[in-house]
Amino acid sequence: MSEMLSGAEILCRALVDAGVEVIFGYPGGAIMPFYHALPDHPQLRHILVRHEQAAAHAADGYARASGRVGVCVATSGPGATNLVTGLAAAHMDNSPVVAITGQVSRPMIGRDAFQETDIIGITLPITKQNYQVQDVTELADVVAEAMAVALEGRPGPVLIDVPKDVQNQKIEWHPPQKPRHPRAGARGQSLTPGASPGSLEDGVRAAARLIKGAERPLIMAGHGVILAEAYAEVQALAEKTGIPVITTLLGISGFPDGHALHLGMPGMHGEVHVNRAIQHADVIIGIGLRFDDRVTGNTASFAPQARIIHIELDRAEIGKNVPVAVGIVGDARDVTRRLVAAVEPRRCERWLEHIRGFVRPRTEAFRGDLSPETILASIYEASHGECTIVTDVGQHQMWVAKLYRYERPNTHITSGGLGAMGFAVPAAMGVHLARPNGTVWAISGDGGFQMNMAEMATMVQEGLPVKMAVFNNGYLGMVRQWQQFFHEKRYSCTPIWSPDYVKLAAAYGIPGYRVKQASELADVVGRANAEAGPALVEFVIEQEANVYPMIPPGGSLSEPIEAEPAAAAGH
Amino acid sequence: MLLDDALVTLNRAFGVLRRRNVPIEGLALHPSGTAGVSRLTFVLKADAATADRVAQQFHKMIGVRSVMVLANEDSTTEAKR
Ligand SMILES: Cc1ncc(C[n+]2csc(CCOP(=O)(O)OP(=O)(O)O)c2C)c(N)n1
Repeated sequence: MSEMLSGAEILCRALVDAGVEVIFGYPGGAIMPFYHALPDHPQLRHILVRHEQAAAHAADGYARASGRVGVCVATSGPGATNLVTGLAAAHMDNSPVVAITGQVSRPMIGRDAFQETDIIGITLPITKQNYQVQDVTELADVVAEAMAVALEGRPGPVLIDVPKDVQNQKIEWHPPQKPRHPRAGARGQSLTPGASPGSLEDGVRAAARLIKGAERPLIMAGHGVILAEAYAEVQALAEKTGIPVITTLLGISGFPDGHALHLGMPGMHGEVHVNRAIQHADVIIGIGLRFDDRVTGNTASFAPQARIIHIELDRAEIGKNVPVAVGIVGDARDVTRRLVAAVEPRRCERWLEHIRGFVRPRTEAFRGDLSPETILASIYEASHGECTIVTDVGQHQMWVAKLYRYERPNTHITSGGLGAMGFAVPAAMGVHLARPNGTVWAISGDGGFQMNMAEMATMVQEGLPVKMAVFNNGYLGMVRQWQQFFHEKRYSCTPIWSPDYVKLAAAYGIPGYRVKQASELADVVGRANAEAGPALVEFVIEQEANVYPMIPPGGSLSEPIEAEPAAAAGH
Repeated sequence: MLLDDALVTLNRAFGVLRRRNVPIEGLALHPSGTAGVSRLTFVLKADAATADRVAQQFHKMIGVRSVMVLANEDSTTEAKR
């Protein structure tokens, strides 16, 4: 049985067929046919954001929390360009997002028509793939393919640009065929420098041999562990061998923080003992990470004694940032499972003892008693450790990464690769829709919160009970810290004024609270957490606190700044 | 490399070189003989490691079907991959 459908209707059907349930978007001229068709498809819940950037971040948050594709929609021109930051964030952090943009009608394209932008050209370097649909007959296949491409292999964002006249074109509807070029996905193979790509088994055997001979081995777990859901496998590898585990910023919550073998986060703000462990290690097993410069510091002095085993889905990552002894291309879960089977049981007690010797007491000083630890502990208590935490970018992000106790898989979500301020609030909306029965806290600084605080209106209109925490230090804190350390304490343009957040929340009809002392924490955070709807808590924290330790950008992991520089101290 | 006959794929291939600032000395685009698939040949001024890295980036692009590094300055073999 066939029927005549418009492109817009086909687009809706194709999304329904792909299992899409939630769409974050904002209408406009070039996408109006789609919005006209949308009410006929109640399976697609549309969340009207207040800025398209938020739609993209929300789709990203949804994707990270659910493991499914997050979908966002915008009109042509300014709507499409507003998506860009969100797509770049999803690209850097390998989040499967599909963006659908309206475009001016085909005869107008290339003529600088009203609200025409070359969004394909603009997003080429920040998408895995993008499509401009030239004919309505392609539309359903393109949607199906885009959904598959976003998810398969190393996930990432995909953009579909649909000219308005294609949305209005009518054709006889046939259900979508299979994606046109299904890629085989990553076939496992080992890639050892100088040798031809060998079999996966060879790689695993070589890795097991290196591990057997190692005296000071380390596991570094990255985002790939979470994407592949390799939690049990990584834990089994650690427990069978006694090898301690480091989790990168995006690997946090891939391995339980409380586990005896968990060391913490490496890199620029990694704890001293974690970075020292890297510098002393003789074998590093990197699972699902790209050895980003925020992790390695100066690569020339990174892990000078270590031979690196790199397990990674994307073969282009192997050997890209650091030289590897054994590269194994494959899914983190599959490869780690094989590695667990191949390694011999062992212990690393002396090495663990050695690492314990590197542990430093924390040096951060707070004038008041409202330290990040106490705040984060109160959120942990109030939510019984069962919430998902979404962080923004800056000092608070590092404090959360280091100090919150993550015990459950994939409960830490942050913009790592792009470091996009304004991420937390909208991404948390996406997380709520992916995990409607759980609690989600969006933790931001006073700078980042003000970037996307308009989304409070979205929460109210759409009934999204996101809990918002604002760490208010009156500064763009992380930049102020850099100014203190590297720019002679010249606080140029970093003091930042805030509105009265309690009144602001009230204007949206959201309960708002302000906390100035630790004694108020349990009560206020408990109440906010228990609110049926959204809630906001402002934490008035020490203004000039710093995140320690810190490896200066481009510096060696061996040379952290561990305390207030003498010249800069004295407030 | 063999790639889908689409301007957007071509554009992405250039993007890989532009981002890494790898100079192009020559290029040729031809039909491959298979419908919808083009053969693109770049002559790059790059050392073997850069050429390899670029090839890997090409390899993972959607729309690229196969990549071969035909000759490296400092390689003895004609076809490396
Ligand atoms: C969109 C964007 N603009 C600028 C920056 C640069 N930046 C990184 S951290 C930071 C300060 C963040 O200040 P705030 O949100 O108050 O958080 P805090 O560091 O004080 O916790 C800035 C401006 C960024 N990461 N993202």
